Amino acid sequence: MISEIIIPKLGATGGDVTLDEWLVPIGAFVNAGAPIATLTTDKATVELEAFRGGYLRAILARPGDTVPIATPIALLADSSDEPLGEYAARAITNLKETTTLLTANTDAVESQISNQKSAIENRKPQPPPQAPIASSSIAPLLQLPFLLALFRSMSLIRRFEDTLYQLFLQGLVPGTLHQYQGQEAVAVGVSAALNKDDVIFSTHRPVGHLLAKGSSARGVAAEIWGKAAGCAGGKGGQMHLCDITIGAPPSNAIVGANIPIATGAALAFQLRGEPRVAVSYFGDGATNIGAFHEGINLAAVKNAPVLFVCENNGYAASTHISLTSRVPDLAVRAEAYGIPGVIVDGMDVLAVYDAAQQAVSRARRGDGPTLLECKTYRYMGHSRGDPGGYRTQHELAEWRARDPIERLRLLLVAQHNVSPDTLTAIEIETQAQVDDAVAFAQAAPEPEPSLLETHIYA
Amino acid sequence: MRELSFSKALREAIQLAMRRDPNVFVLGEDVGISGGFGGGFTVTLGLSDEFGHARIMDTPISEIAIVGAAVGAAMMGMRPIAEMQYGDFVFCAMDQVINQAAKMCYMSNGQVSVPLVLRLPVGATTRGAQHAQSTEAYFMHTPGLKVVCPSNPYDAKGLLLSAVWDNNPVIFLEHKLLYGAGGGRKEKTSLDLYTHVPEQEYTLPLGSVAVKRAGTDVTILANMLMVHRALQAAQELASMGIDAGVIDVRCLAPLDIETLADSARKTHRVMIVEEDNQSGGWGAEVAARLTEMCFDDLDAPVLRVAAPDTPVPCAPALEKLYVPDVPRILQAARQLCQSSRENDLD
Ligand SMILES: Cc1ncc(C[n+]2csc(CCOP(=O)(O)OP(=O)(O)O)c2C)c(N)n1
Ligand SMILES: [Mg+2]
Repeated sequence: MISEIIIPKLGATGGDVTLDEWLVPIGAFVNAGAPIATLTTDKATVELEAFRGGYLRAILARPGDTVPIATPIALLADSSDEPLGEYAARAITNLKETTTLLTANTDAVESQISNQKSAIENRKPQPPPQAPIASSSIAPLLQLPFLLALFRSMSLIRRFEDTLYQLFLQGLVPGTLHQYQGQEAVAVGVSAALNKDDVIFSTHRPVGHLLAKGSSARGVAAEIWGKAAGCAGGKGGQMHLCDITIGAPPSNAIVGANIPIATGAALAFQLRGEPRVAVSYFGDGATNIGAFHEGINLAAVKNAPVLFVCENNGYAASTHISLTSRVPDLAVRAEAYGIPGVIVDGMDVLAVYDAAQQAVSRARRGDGPTLLECKTYRYMGHSRGDPGGYRTQHELAEWRARDPIERLRLLLVAQHNVSPDTLTAIEIETQAQVDDAVAFAQAAPEPEPSLLETHIYA
Repeated sequence: MRELSFSKALREAIQLAMRRDPNVFVLGEDVGISGGFGGGFTVTLGLSDEFGHARIMDTPISEIAIVGAAVGAAMMGMRPIAEMQYGDFVFCAMDQVINQAAKMCYMSNGQVSVPLVLRLPVGATTRGAQHAQSTEAYFMHTPGLKVVCPSNPYDAKGLLLSAVWDNNPVIFLEHKLLYGAGGGRKEKTSLDLYTHVPEQEYTLPLGSVAVKRAGTDVTILANMLMVHRALQAAQELASMGIDAGVIDVRCLAPLDIETLADSARKTHRVMIVEEDNQSGGWGAEVAARLTEMCFDDLDAPVLRVAAPDTPVPCAPALEKLYVPDVPRILQAARQLCQSSRENDLD
């Protein structure tokens, strides 16, 4: 749904106001109550707030413009590419290029595909990232098909999660949601370093991990909808995705619990002499639970072939990492166990791939575990319905400016001569894949009552 | 008369206790963060504004440390109120609950006591098996713990205040569908439950049960969410000519078995409704004791309507079958009354 943000009556005089500045980039998510622009009247400068959460889909005025009260000035949407409908002609969707207005296309029967296409095409590459923590020096060594596969995989996750969020806003998704937007480079970079028979142990935020390892979007979607066709028959739900065919035992909703479990899987490979590796994904928050210490220490002393991937997105639910750890870099904890701790830019898929690749080879060689700390960010709230009142819009915007998908897009276009159309085509395909998965999940039959009592024991 | 939701009633109890006694403090995950959630289900929302972040203490995700620190502080004379974000996470800290909190008084021959409250949100709410369990039986089984499981805002406030002032570790279960909290943390299928809650401090005795409805044909025992389903069923049973009484077993340990037995002797039939798994649930204990105490007064075996012995499934279609609902209660009650009436004729 598109909602207008209207210039309120300011002060007693009620005269026109001037728009000073937009505080949020177009396309960014804003929480209800967050300031989105500053306005000046003849008396004061005030902040204009979003009356609901949503994406700043478009603006209707530029800084310096005089705007009459009670007129709409910005449009909030449920996704960053929701069609603008009747507003299309007036909307400014890219402030930098004020000349580029969306061409009016108010035809109501415009097909969904072309809507998506125009939305995707109108999204410009983001500005170059800030200095990355780890460099993607391997980029020139990588082949184009590999890079395109990384792009496709990240795009699939983003489209899946964004689509789910839209449906969630419409009340169409049962159960809970913990979303992965922003962190795609971690799952995709790590998965690219793994073999098919390597195993991953995921968390309450598992969609990215499973899709990146190759689980089917249909199976994942149907699981979230609690259908028998779900990858866990509907019994698991969003937090317990499981697809053993791609090496994913049930993802774990007990924070940190999968750390010793991954160690055990790695010990099994070691005992049987199999050249396989186990991965444990967990968040910054998990590094403070006992299972983290016990699981990593055991793996360390046994040289178990396991990769501990800490996705440090700065927050455990509402709690910032600075409130729960005296060390900002969680990788330094590796030293206490005598294993390598590596910090990597988790917004750079190539940097993640590079580091994961080295750690995986180390593990496969029999040289033991690595703690890989990926600095990243989650764009959405912690779980369904979390408006994220504990963090600033500014912080979110800063991280969005380092978006992993846009960074790879930039690299592909600038250094590999890939045409933007090729990438757009990939995104249209992944969106179609997601739409198919959702349709499949929604149409799939409910589980039979008898399933309630199956598989309690093997 | 002022009405409050369950979560607000709990919040007020904590607030009043903290105002009265500087030894009372709260610890848990996300309990006091500004702009945050107020714990798992908004119970502590806003309390850090009044009491500061030292007494509304945010912790890392460290369940062992949360419960362990509460045990240590309690032995030194504090009255901590610890929160698990979901009741299922208490299993991470089970050693601290069972081997430490519960046994300290006994092992010390009474030299130390552990006056802590451990709050556990329980109940199935389409989040899947690790965010859903009703855990009361584990604690009822453990000597040294008190177990409280209120069904409404009035009881919640009075029992929480009693729990804070009690000198023993009290496990305080809160059903997620009863909170009725507004905002983003509201559960989709939650009961819109508001009751009269006096503004002042008041306490309700730990170890008490509450007769919600008198009846002559069958006694239905239930706790938390199941009380509401039992009451609804009792109403429908009345229109079928069955007069069912409902007792809210709001405290499981200590257990007021006498009141339950009195009712059993009067109605001659007892049904227990619990969201917990059937095997080894609290209903099993109550059924055994009633059988021991009033076997001769019963016209039929005590009947349980419980969750099946499965983990909690996530799919809404399956979860519905897991949690006892009104039709299941009705069917069981009719069966119980019918079969024992037939027996009467023999
Ligand atoms: C043992 C345990 N305690 C608390 C929770 C509740 N909880 C779920 S996710 C979460 C925050 C996790 O933060 P982090 O590990 O950083 O992962 P992120 O959500 O950022 O991906 C919390 C507190 C839980 N699931 N398990
Ligand atoms: Mg985190």
